[in-house]
Amino acid sequence: MNFAHGELYMFGAYAGIAAIGLTGSFWLALLAAPLAVGILGAVTEVATLRPLYRREPLYGLILTFGLAMVFREAVRQIWGGDMRRILPPVEGSTPLLGMTYPNYRLFLLVFASALLLGIWLFFTRTRAGIIVRAAVQDAEMLDGLGVNVPRVFTLTFAGSAALAAIAGLLLAPIFTVYPQMGVEMILLAFIVVILGGMGSMGGSVVAAFVIGIAQSLLTLWMNPQRVAIAIFGIMIVVLIVRPRGFFGREGVLE
Amino acid sequence: MSSPLSLRAALVFAALALLPLTPWMSKYYLLLAFDALLFGAVAMSLDLLIGYTGLVSFGHAAFFGLGAYSAAVLLERGVTSLWLSLGLAVVIVGLYGLLVSYFATTRRGIYFALLTLIFAEVVYTVFRYTQAFGGSDGIQGLPPPSLAPGVLIDTPARNYYLVVVYLFLAYLVCRTLVSSHFGRVLAAIRENEDRARFLGYDVQRYKMGVCMISAGLTGLAGALYPGRAAYATPDLMHWSISGEFLIMVMIGGLGTLVGPIIGGAFFILLQEKVSSYVQWYSIVVGLVLVFIVLFVPKGLLGFRGALLQGLRRGTP
Repeated sequence: MNFAHGELYMFGAYAGIAAIGLTGSFWLALLAAPLAVGILGAVTEVATLRPLYRREPLYGLILTFGLAMVFREAVRQIWGGDMRRILPPVEGSTPLLGMTYPNYRLFLLVFASALLLGIWLFFTRTRAGIIVRAAVQDAEMLDGLGVNVPRVFTLTFAGSAALAAIAGLLLAPIFTVYPQMGVEMILLAFIVVILGGMGSMGGSVVAAFVIGIAQSLLTLWMNPQRVAIAIFGIMIVVLIVRPRGFFGREGVLE
Repeated sequence: MSSPLSLRAALVFAALALLPLTPWMSKYYLLLAFDALLFGAVAMSLDLLIGYTGLVSFGHAAFFGLGAYSAAVLLERGVTSLWLSLGLAVVIVGLYGLLVSYFATTRRGIYFALLTLIFAEVVYTVFRYTQAFGGSDGIQGLPPPSLAPGVLIDTPARNYYLVVVYLFLAYLVCRTLVSSHFGRVLAAIRENEDRARFLGYDVQRYKMGVCMISAGLTGLAGALYPGRAAYATPDLMHWSISGEFLIMVMIGGLGTLVGPIIGGAFFILLQEKVSSYVQWYSIVVGLVLVFIVLFVPKGLLGFRGALLQGLRRGTP
């Protein structure tokens, strides 16, 4: 479990803003931000997480908690603590099913779907993706087969950091960008992963839909705080009744 | 059975009691010492769970915050008796602890941590948004509590003595507990839960028991906090505070009781001292954490042990 993941997401938004400032293009920023954050992720992994492979997961938890503190404060020192917004790169809106949608949201829908499809294809159809899955399941065996397992972990971590950065930048025109944004997001992300089942990407997508739809529907007749509590309630019930989530394998991290 | 209070521990507590008499203990340092010892006590009670039973609670901020709000609500309404505050805190934290521990102990490992975390987030959300509890501002400007009618705990020195007494009693409770039969069953659960169950122990009852004791001690510490700070805010319950409690235990050394007290005090002093020099103290504190996890995984107490061992080896 990585507590600094929310901060990588935040870094993505800030790196993107910086790149937009330099190049003036959102699309170049969308390339540069994940690249920068991915490199940061790789360096962090090699320097701090790699020595912890053989230790209890608790140590990783606390280490990333410390890293999150460092990252958050570094961003505050570099860019200041105020809220920022950026303009959506796609303007205008489209009428759809009797409602008017901003084009940027439609773009996000398409882009996120494509990204998810790409990730799914990577994990199921490519040799590299299968190696990553094997490393999670039985690192020792994979090592015995001659794969450089530490490198696999580093690249996986870098990849996940880059994805977090993409999410951070893509959501920047919709949400505000500020140093605490990662802290607010990370719990929701954990909830989605646990609810869906660890190691199951389809599960995460389904869980994200369930949480998103539940949130929107409950908002119709509850205030936002009650909705938050109701979402936590769903989470508690799932953890008690079926801790592996919707599609998770039994016994992961138990 | 040996006495729960070793000679060394008695000397340390005697030194703590004499500390305010030394000339360099200004009001500022007394309040700082209050925080250091109070959070040290919280870390010690968390150590009962993590270090002795192998249960990682990520929701102790809720116990602390509920204790603080129990006292704050009474103080706000003019009920200043410390004993009533402590009593209410025990009842409220006890009921909440019963609920959480009943459900959380059905699960192990990371799922236990997550359940305690989410329950605590519910408490945080409720207090953060309920206007009767002051919303995000919390309850501010509280009067000092009283030990008996007319005996106010209104100076830093009195608050300090209060926390020393609390720490002393909490330490005795924890020390007695871990060296009792109950404590050995907890260690058995930590080492191999299934085996403990096959030996006939009702594992869940033991786990709930230690959760309740740890929660109760943390809640009592929380109830002492508004007397010193004159407020209770929802920030006290935020999950990052639970994370800080965990870190205090880790810094000090798991499963040692004394270690987490030192860890808690160290964390508070580090934060306060670094933040008085630089604005970016979080970077320093975060880096210290990373350093400790990487190079001193057994905590400060374990580090000292290794150092002593090294010295002994060096001088045959």
